Amino acid sequence: MSAAWRIARRELRGGLRGFYIFLICLALGVAAIAAVGSVRAGIEAGLAREGAAILGGDAQAEFTYRFATEEERSWLESVAEEVSETVDFRSMAVAGNERGLTQVRGVDDLYPLYGEVVLDPPMDIASALERRALPGGVMQPVLAARLGLRVGDTFTLGTQQFELRALLEREPDSAGAGFGLGPRTLVTLEGLQESGLITAGTLYDTQYRLRLPAGTDLEALENAAETRFAESGLRWQDSRNGAPGIARFVDRLGAFLVLVGLSGLAVGGLGVSAAVRSYLEGKLDTIATLKTLGATGRVIFTVYFIQVGILSLIGVGLGLLLGALLPLALGPVIEAQLPVPAVFTLYPGPLVEAAIYGLLTAAIFVIWPLARAQDIRAAGLFRDIAGGGMSLPRWPFLLVIAALSAVLIALAVLFSGAWALSLGAAGGIIAALAILAIMAGLVRISARRLARSRVVRGRPALRLALGAVGGPGGETASVILSLGLGLTVLATVGQIEMNTRNAISQDLPEVAPAYFFLDIQNDQLPDFLEIAHAQDGVGRIDTAPMLRGIVTRINGQTARDVAGDHWILRGDRGVTYAASQPESAELTQGTWWPDDYTGPPLVSFAAEEGAELGLSLGDKLTVNVLGRDIEVEIANFRVVEFGDMGINFVMILNEAALAGAPHTHIATLYAEEAAEGPLLRTLSRAFPNVTAIGVRDAITRVSEALGGLAAATSYGAAATLVTGFVVLIGAAAAGTRRRVFEAAVLKTVGATRGRILASFALRSAILGAMAGLVAILGGALAGWAVMTFVMEADYSFQVISALTIVSGGAVASLLAGLAFAWAPLAARPARVLRSRD
Amino acid sequence: MIDPVLSLRDAKLALDANAGRVEILHGIDLDIRAGETVGLTGPSGSGKSSLLMIMGGLERATGGTVMALGHDLTALGEDALARFRLKHMGVVFQSFHLIPTMTALENVATPLELAGAADAFDRAEAELTAVGLSHRLDHYPSQLSGGEQQRVALARAAAPRPAILLADEPTGNLDGPTGEAIMDMLFGLRDRHGATLVLVTHAPELAARCDRQIRLRDGRLDTLSEAAE
Repeated sequence: MSAAWRIARRELRGGLRGFYIFLICLALGVAAIAAVGSVRAGIEAGLAREGAAILGGDAQAEFTYRFATEEERSWLESVAEEVSETVDFRSMAVAGNERGLTQVRGVDDLYPLYGEVVLDPPMDIASALERRALPGGVMQPVLAARLGLRVGDTFTLGTQQFELRALLEREPDSAGAGFGLGPRTLVTLEGLQESGLITAGTLYDTQYRLRLPAGTDLEALENAAETRFAESGLRWQDSRNGAPGIARFVDRLGAFLVLVGLSGLAVGGLGVSAAVRSYLEGKLDTIATLKTLGATGRVIFTVYFIQVGILSLIGVGLGLLLGALLPLALGPVIEAQLPVPAVFTLYPGPLVEAAIYGLLTAAIFVIWPLARAQDIRAAGLFRDIAGGGMSLPRWPFLLVIAALSAVLIALAVLFSGAWALSLGAAGGIIAALAILAIMAGLVRISARRLARSRVVRGRPALRLALGAVGGPGGETASVILSLGLGLTVLATVGQIEMNTRNAISQDLPEVAPAYFFLDIQNDQLPDFLEIAHAQDGVGRIDTAPMLRGIVTRINGQTARDVAGDHWILRGDRGVTYAASQPESAELTQGTWWPDDYTGPPLVSFAAEEGAELGLSLGDKLTVNVLGRDIEVEIANFRVVEFGDMGINFVMILNEAALAGAPHTHIATLYAEEAAEGPLLRTLSRAFPNVTAIGVRDAITRVSEALGGLAAATSYGAAATLVTGFVVLIGAAAAGTRRRVFEAAVLKTVGATRGRILASFALRSAILGAMAGLVAILGGALAGWAVMTFVMEADYSFQVISALTIVSGGAVASLLAGLAFAWAPLAARPARVLRSRD
Repeated sequence: MIDPVLSLRDAKLALDANAGRVEILHGIDLDIRAGETVGLTGPSGSGKSSLLMIMGGLERATGGTVMALGHDLTALGEDALARFRLKHMGVVFQSFHLIPTMTALENVATPLELAGAADAFDRAEAELTAVGLSHRLDHYPSQLSGGEQQRVALARAAAPRPAILLADEPTGNLDGPTGEAIMDMLFGLRDRHGATLVLVTHAPELAARCDRQIRLRDGRLDTLSEAAE
């Protein structure tokens, strides 16, 4: 060991020359993972620190469709020092002829319990909302601009006029509110009373934010609340997790980006492996000499393992430095882009995680070439065996590589907490590497065949290129693997992104309605339909009664205990009723009830969701509607296509079951695009309480949100590609010696520089295009899998994205190849060839 | 007198090394006639390989002129030199210098293809058969012995039927019997095609097979001797 150490130290005296690619590959991969992890930790710390402000209180009880009952209210007051009441709903803000969808929040005078509302011009929220001649209101600048409002102007919500006192720059609890389709308007609860918007049956949520005595046991309080009001539809949240939606989102996105980072590290690993192989090729003589002098294979392995180990530590260290400093340096920029608070500082956790990933990856990828180095025979001194091909290391080494890979994957599962995603990504990377390795082999065999075929005879540049691609040694495997994996990640992201965008922006609008109308009162419905039908360009109008209900029990047992955390059971869902079977309802099981059915309540349930919940015909569900429990029996299952954006309900009850429950109607209206504007003006003037949601606007909002997501993912994929390009440059640089020699020989036998250059360019382009082709296959496969199994949407092959990837691959490879073509072309043959004699 | 195929006048070669400029050849005057075989000998570092390299245009003389078949090689550009070799010259090295990514057949066919020969592969095969390698056509250099590699190199140099064959210690890396066989082939090729052969060698018995021996010492011509026929 000590001899190995001394020899390794002597060898390292040469410094880092020849190891820059090694270091860059490792450092880039580690830095990307460390940076993503640090940003995630920063956001999580921000959410935790400002949990109460984001939630709007230490704890919050929320109801849908109703305010708290006397009993609920007095219990809340008994546990809290202060209780602040707010109401939240969608509505239309109107100013003159302009109207816009807005998310209204009515607040009491305790609002906000925590944090601060920032207004422009600066003033406190109480005086901004107080009643003078009119009650006051504030709204986000984007809405005020859309309505053409300036501070001091008036606007209407429902039938109530408000004076715009200021623009809403920031509300402390916006991040906890989730995804809203409209900009925010804040008014007082009292001001809303005359608006006619909060009536029985209209859709609104109420929140009761609590300021709790210091030292309150949040967990005990949550249990108490849930035991006491288990089935009243009360939803409890507290500051331990003030924005569960965002926390979950950040967690998932973070995990996903770390996995993208891991694929970058895998690409980097290939570069590391290639760098080590190329370094060892240069050391063939040294190794053979050491063997001649009596060094065993084990000593040789140890000598170079020590060297590579030290270099790995340096590479990982550089990566950690970069990954830790980048979020710190860019902290203010990142925070400005985030809708949530973030605390950027040094987080050891993500750095340790990135370091472990980096070291494991380095180990996995260097053992292969190192294991082969120890098999070099002393006879290598006397015979040129540099181009030894891809022989396998001995089995103990393969076992170690497999074990380290398993540890890496297990850690990825553990750290990310998303086992399916992690295993999927790991499987994807391993499969991609395997496919790429096989493809590299196939490409070599085909190139070799083609080089010998009559087709290319007389085309020496092409045959030389094919010969180089197909011949022994060469960079075929390393270029196809590294560039191929980088491009595969990019192709996958591209395929998924384009498919998702298409699903939203192209497929849907063809069948989607122009508007959803919410909160149409019973007595308004006939007039609404009449006026709407009288408008030009209006097509079909569908309406349905609309209530909200929470499934609390399944066959008498608490629903979540039976079916787990399914989205149907999370909060309230839309419920409707129908006497006869709707035309569009296609039953998969059971039968519809007779038109005049008045027996015990029955329900028609969505087939797919029913199956996910494990429901069968005859099961009994308890649905809490407006605080009243209704026990319904499943009469049939029916196909529900949520993708068509029409009116879809998971549950349709028989008419008698909901008779008498106060409710409103929902309508979908199909119209030509040109008719949409006048239609909206006419209908919202006639029915000020009715809320219109433009489907086009909604789609734009969703597209924007997805665009941000796609951008984040693209950055991750770009990091992988940059690593791939570095590996490519490394491969090109490593191949320079070989090309200098080839060029010298070719010049000797009469090839001009133009021909040599053409041959070099051709081989680079062939390799790049092949890597691109494999990437398309891999990307299409992964894209299909993600769209089908994760997004549950249709997949269609995206040709443009694919072509971009192939040509991108060819160009990248070409550029890297040409960047290193000068030395071979410029070298004098005599000097090159004599130096090898 | 027949015009010389190779004619050097005051040919000089100086190279820049780390330690400064090194004068390698100091004004060589030399004529080689068509069909002649010439052995270049001399101690290590005397400049014999460098002299061969400037004759082949693989190294550019830094002074004087190097005329080959009436062309001044010192005035030709890199690509013009390549084209000149393609038409008129074959070179064999001590270390064979086959392209490792090509089979034996492909290595031999390459200059023929570069010359645009339609039957490049047939001729290459015939050439390899002539050196006894018809059973090694599809082998890569790494799969061949040293002697076999040198035979491929010979075939490659001879295939385009060059007027001038240059050989730089072609048996230097081979054992005695193998080296002898290679030399027999080299002289056999020369005899068949009537090329001019310039051969760098350390071995006196090889030099003795040439029509003429030229000895170099410190970058200068030392002795001119006509070998006894």
